Amino acid sequence: MRGIGQNGESKGRGLWSAGWARFRDNRLAMTGAVIVLLLYFVAILAPILTPYDPIEHGDIPRMRYMQPNPQHLFGTDKFGRDVFTRVLYGSRISLTISFLAVLISVVFGSVVGAVAGYSGGFIDAVIMRIVDALMAIPRLFLLLTCVALFSGSIWLIVVLLGVTGWMATARLVRGQILSLRGQDFVRAAEALGAGRKRIVLKHLIPNTLTVIVVAATLRIGGIILAEAALSFLGLGVPPPTPSWGQMVFEGREALLGAWWVSTFPGIIIAVTVIGYNLLGDGLRDAFDPRQYV
Amino acid sequence: MLRFIAIRLVQSAVLVLIVLTITFFLLHLAPGDPMARYFHPDISPETVQMIKERLGLDKPLIEQYFRWIGSFIRGDFGVSLAYNVPVRSLLADAIPNTLRLTIAALLLHIVIGVALGIVSAARRYSFFDRFSTVAALFIYSIPSFWLGLMLILLFSLKLGVLPSSHMQSIGAEQLSGIALFADRIRHLVLPAFVLGIASAASIARYMRGSMLDVLREDYIRTARAKGLPEGAVFLKHALKNAAIPIVTIIGLSLPFLLGGAVVVEKIFSWPGMGRLTVDAIYARDYPVVLAVNFVVAFMVISGNLLADIGYALLDPRITLTRRGAGR
Repeated sequence: MRGIGQNGESKGRGLWSAGWARFRDNRLAMTGAVIVLLLYFVAILAPILTPYDPIEHGDIPRMRYMQPNPQHLFGTDKFGRDVFTRVLYGSRISLTISFLAVLISVVFGSVVGAVAGYSGGFIDAVIMRIVDALMAIPRLFLLLTCVALFSGSIWLIVVLLGVTGWMATARLVRGQILSLRGQDFVRAAEALGAGRKRIVLKHLIPNTLTVIVVAATLRIGGIILAEAALSFLGLGVPPPTPSWGQMVFEGREALLGAWWVSTFPGIIIAVTVIGYNLLGDGLRDAFDPRQYV
Repeated sequence: MLRFIAIRLVQSAVLVLIVLTITFFLLHLAPGDPMARYFHPDISPETVQMIKERLGLDKPLIEQYFRWIGSFIRGDFGVSLAYNVPVRSLLADAIPNTLRLTIAALLLHIVIGVALGIVSAARRYSFFDRFSTVAALFIYSIPSFWLGLMLILLFSLKLGVLPSSHMQSIGAEQLSGIALFADRIRHLVLPAFVLGIASAASIARYMRGSMLDVLREDYIRTARAKGLPEGAVFLKHALKNAAIPIVTIIGLSLPFLLGGAVVVEKIFSWPGMGRLTVDAIYARDYPVVLAVNFVVAFMVISGNLLADIGYALLDPRITLTRRGAGR
């Protein structure tokens, strides 16, 4: 919304630096960027930031369900493990899974959307009906059905999160391609004898890249929530690997006595998702003002 | 108008068929003998072979496919492996419970969302507007299972004012009409709130945008110019038109509500389709999982169909252009 008014002021600079300037001026977007960067630092530096082990049990009779205190900022869980440490290490799982899953869904969705949009006609109709049908099954039900049929490892969860989330990207990219298809530079490439594959990969997809990146950023939050929900239901990352959703679930049995076990991982999930959403909104406003009109 | 409804009906039926096809192929893509999932592991191989032949499971895949679709459309979803009863009877118990929860959440999120959206639009850029923008973002980002646990912790365990699970108290059957109703409402409050609040945030944002768009229209200027009080302009002229797109949004929020019900039902021990699915997955009860998947998709597709028809009925512009095109 604000991006358009500022176009004039940023004349003479490149598209990217103008966008970056708009992004920097947006306080919410910068907050999101800082949160996300911080999370990646935490994930990488986890062993330095905490002296405890995320998986090994503590001295259970003495250490279980300790209240938050200076040694254990978020308290300890039923096995005497430090909740703060597990939250730190849990960020690795959430960030890795969400990043890979988004990558899968965005690449797959973009290719399918581009093929549908560029081919048109029958192929387009068939692909889009399949997209419609898959979107009619609520995400979590689709995920659960796949988990039930293909139960397995953490990588399988990544793949399933990816392949159950590509439909919206496909729809988005298809729309973009349709609007690009009639434009002169694509006609020129066709006139020069470029093949279908070359036009899609070299001309159409690069021109939809901003839209794709923005959509991907906005989707990461949703994937983190889906992974957390899956782990909460006991169908995601298997214990003892720390994952935020599963930590919330484990705290459930001692909710009244040890509220901290569930509370802190939940807050961190929310902060992470907010971070990605703010970042995505900011990127959209800064680099793709058309979306807003 | 009738033509429009007929076209949308056919489209929806095709979608249902595609959903069934996808489910069938998912079942066959999964490793292992797909039809083995439909038999209890304790049955001897000879018996399985006999049943397979009787059910036509030894026939070619394409024939199985049509039989499978035929039986699903007739509502025959096979037998639950965990409970050894027809899946249909499990669904008959679960569907009304999920609907009760989902409809309560739907009403809640429309009322909260529309009200907040209107106030935000009326007091644009005020503190309230900014606050609700940020609050919507937060609410949208909170995991529902966590919100549910926190509300249970606060309202059930600490304050003890609301029940934390099940649809009614133990022994509630003996209560009289009004007391039973009140008991059920009390059990409905927390789950419906958790399920509805995230969608309420997005409806509020949508309603705000829609109101602001409508307020720029010429007929609003006309209404103001003829001296109508601002309140009347707002509530009578603007709201009526701004609310029409909400019908579509309600249709679109159905998958989120039904999907969210999985987690909410699990937390609040609500005996609906979500909990049925999760328990079925724990028990490897494939017929139930696939049947619920189909029923939910069917509900979403029907919901969208109704929303589209409702939209066409409410918005005079759509019928006008349709009629114009027909002439």
